Amino acid sequence: MSTGTEYRLTPGRIILLVLMAAGILASLYRLLMGLGATTNLSDAYPWGLWISFDVLTGVALAGGGFTISAAIYVFNIKKWEPLLRPAKLSAFVGYLIFVAGLFFDLGQPWRIWHPMIMWNPESVLFEVSWCVMLYTTVLAIDVFIMALERWRAEFWVSFFRNIYVFLIVAGIILSTLHQSSLGALFLLLPEKMSDLWATGAIGPLFFVSAIIGGMSMVALESILTASAYGREAKMEALTGLAKGLGVTLLVYFAMKVTDLYARNATVWSLDWPHILFYVEIFGTVALPALLLFFPEIHHSRKGILWCAGISAFGVLLNRFNVSLTSYGGYRDFWYFPSAVEIIVTVGLVAMAILIFDFGMNYLPVHPERAPAGEAHAIVR
Amino acid sequence: MAKAILNDTTKCIGCRACQVACKSWHNLPGEKTSFSETWSNPRYLDADNFNRLIFREIVSPEGQVSWHFVSRRCMHCLTPACASACPVGALKKMPNGPVAYNDDICIGCRYCMMACPFQIPKFEWGKAVPYIKKCTFCVERLEAGLEPACTSTCPTGGLLFGEREELIREARRRIAKGNGRYYPEIYGEKIGGGTSILYLTALSFEQLGLNRQGFRTDLGDYPHGLYGREWMSKVPWVALTVGGLSAGLYFVNKRRAEVAAQERKEDKP
Repeated sequence: MSTGTEYRLTPGRIILLVLMAAGILASLYRLLMGLGATTNLSDAYPWGLWISFDVLTGVALAGGGFTISAAIYVFNIKKWEPLLRPAKLSAFVGYLIFVAGLFFDLGQPWRIWHPMIMWNPESVLFEVSWCVMLYTTVLAIDVFIMALERWRAEFWVSFFRNIYVFLIVAGIILSTLHQSSLGALFLLLPEKMSDLWATGAIGPLFFVSAIIGGMSMVALESILTASAYGREAKMEALTGLAKGLGVTLLVYFAMKVTDLYARNATVWSLDWPHILFYVEIFGTVALPALLLFFPEIHHSRKGILWCAGISAFGVLLNRFNVSLTSYGGYRDFWYFPSAVEIIVTVGLVAMAILIFDFGMNYLPVHPERAPAGEAHAIVR
Repeated sequence: MAKAILNDTTKCIGCRACQVACKSWHNLPGEKTSFSETWSNPRYLDADNFNRLIFREIVSPEGQVSWHFVSRRCMHCLTPACASACPVGALKKMPNGPVAYNDDICIGCRYCMMACPFQIPKFEWGKAVPYIKKCTFCVERLEAGLEPACTSTCPTGGLLFGEREELIREARRRIAKGNGRYYPEIYGEKIGGGTSILYLTALSFEQLGLNRQGFRTDLGDYPHGLYGREWMSKVPWVALTVGGLSAGLYFVNKRRAEVAAQERKEDKP
């Protein structure tokens, strides 16, 4: 580390490193012993924690990258500009984690590249894998540009500035496609899901809830990193974001209600799926939407923190409900993740925080804070 | 051309010769089984058991006890959800009937297991390098002009191998002549878009209590795999629309900002 903030081994970072090391060991164990020996997955539950959390939740919560860049460049909400770079960095980290999680979940991880040359154009998962590969590349270039700025590679920075519109548009297209298509994966198995989530509209619902996930994670990260690095939270941008989040939650709530009404689904009942559904729709969608309406809340750091936290949890709950709790292929079987599954997931999250933390320190994530002479090289 | 199997369950005596033939043809390991309230052995289909005879004891409202034996295996759908699901195309419907699996390209994502409405594809959980396993319709035997191991061994004609069209005609004939001996519906003729394994039963699958155990009756006649195909057919248009709108608005915003900057400059002096 030659310049910038000094990177020191704080206790927090040591804990994260230990968790990451445990995760790496557990994933090596998984690679050697196989899925059956190390996970609680079975023929009744072919998909478990890794798909529900690392893949579905991870991708949705990493939706901040395309959401913020669409807001700024397409919807002209310039106020959110200070949030863009942290959002991109966290999205990139999120996708790295997702790819790593998927890698360990595959029966033949070394064949993860197969969809590149073995095509099945009628498969939703084929499309998802292509979009994710391409979008991760876009995000990698985005982060690479930040590194180029730091290394003062002026030529390359201006080169990328010239093709920047392609990255923005590609990022938005690819995200729209795979965020919704991750939901469309479940179009094929309505018979195995609870009526509450099995819907033809699951693609658009996943897309909008990914926007919610992205916005709330950007808000959370912005507030938490501000206090972690002892900086001022960017309240003006955050208030705008919080209002946007409130509106999106409202839209999502309306979509959910319309969908349930149109399908004539049984909404009022007191079994497990319904209880989870009530928590999801009222507790994590309607409640934060309502709260964010109040100026006292969308102007307060704490208020935004809580609402964003609840909304992000709501997205997580939704992904688990769709892919795990509502999946009743065999009702006489039960699934709870094994220690290895949990340790690998925790390790991946720790790794994500470490990489994000490193990026926040090493890369010019806050261009407005950069020394005057550097600012001209910055790609917006 | 398209082969099929008709399982006339009223002819089955529950000898399980089909299970044995399947195991020996596919070189699958035997295993220690135990008695259970389901009577069936093994208890579940898995990577080592491609077909399984389900035993049902049904007591009619009049107190009459009857036994039913149903052979469960891959249905070899005409429009398989698994083939629509597989991202690399490792599962394919062959023109002569089988839904064949290519383990050379399978990545082990298990989406086929999620997608199959009959919950058929199983995974080799016990192996470090696991593949998908399921009934193959003895695809290699068909190519050699033989019939599947299970149908060739069935002693009572409970499993009939033949052309799908002909088997459906035969099944209809049996229902018509059966005088109430059969439930008047061929399971597999239409369900899920139709399958290459067809069932004639004395009672409906709801009455047999199997509609929640692999023989779902609520699937409808529309193949679920097509939902994925429909989604995919929209993808290029969504991509074009989203891309066009974002690029357009991006340049509109950029132009506006430039104009605003120019106006500010002109206002200043």
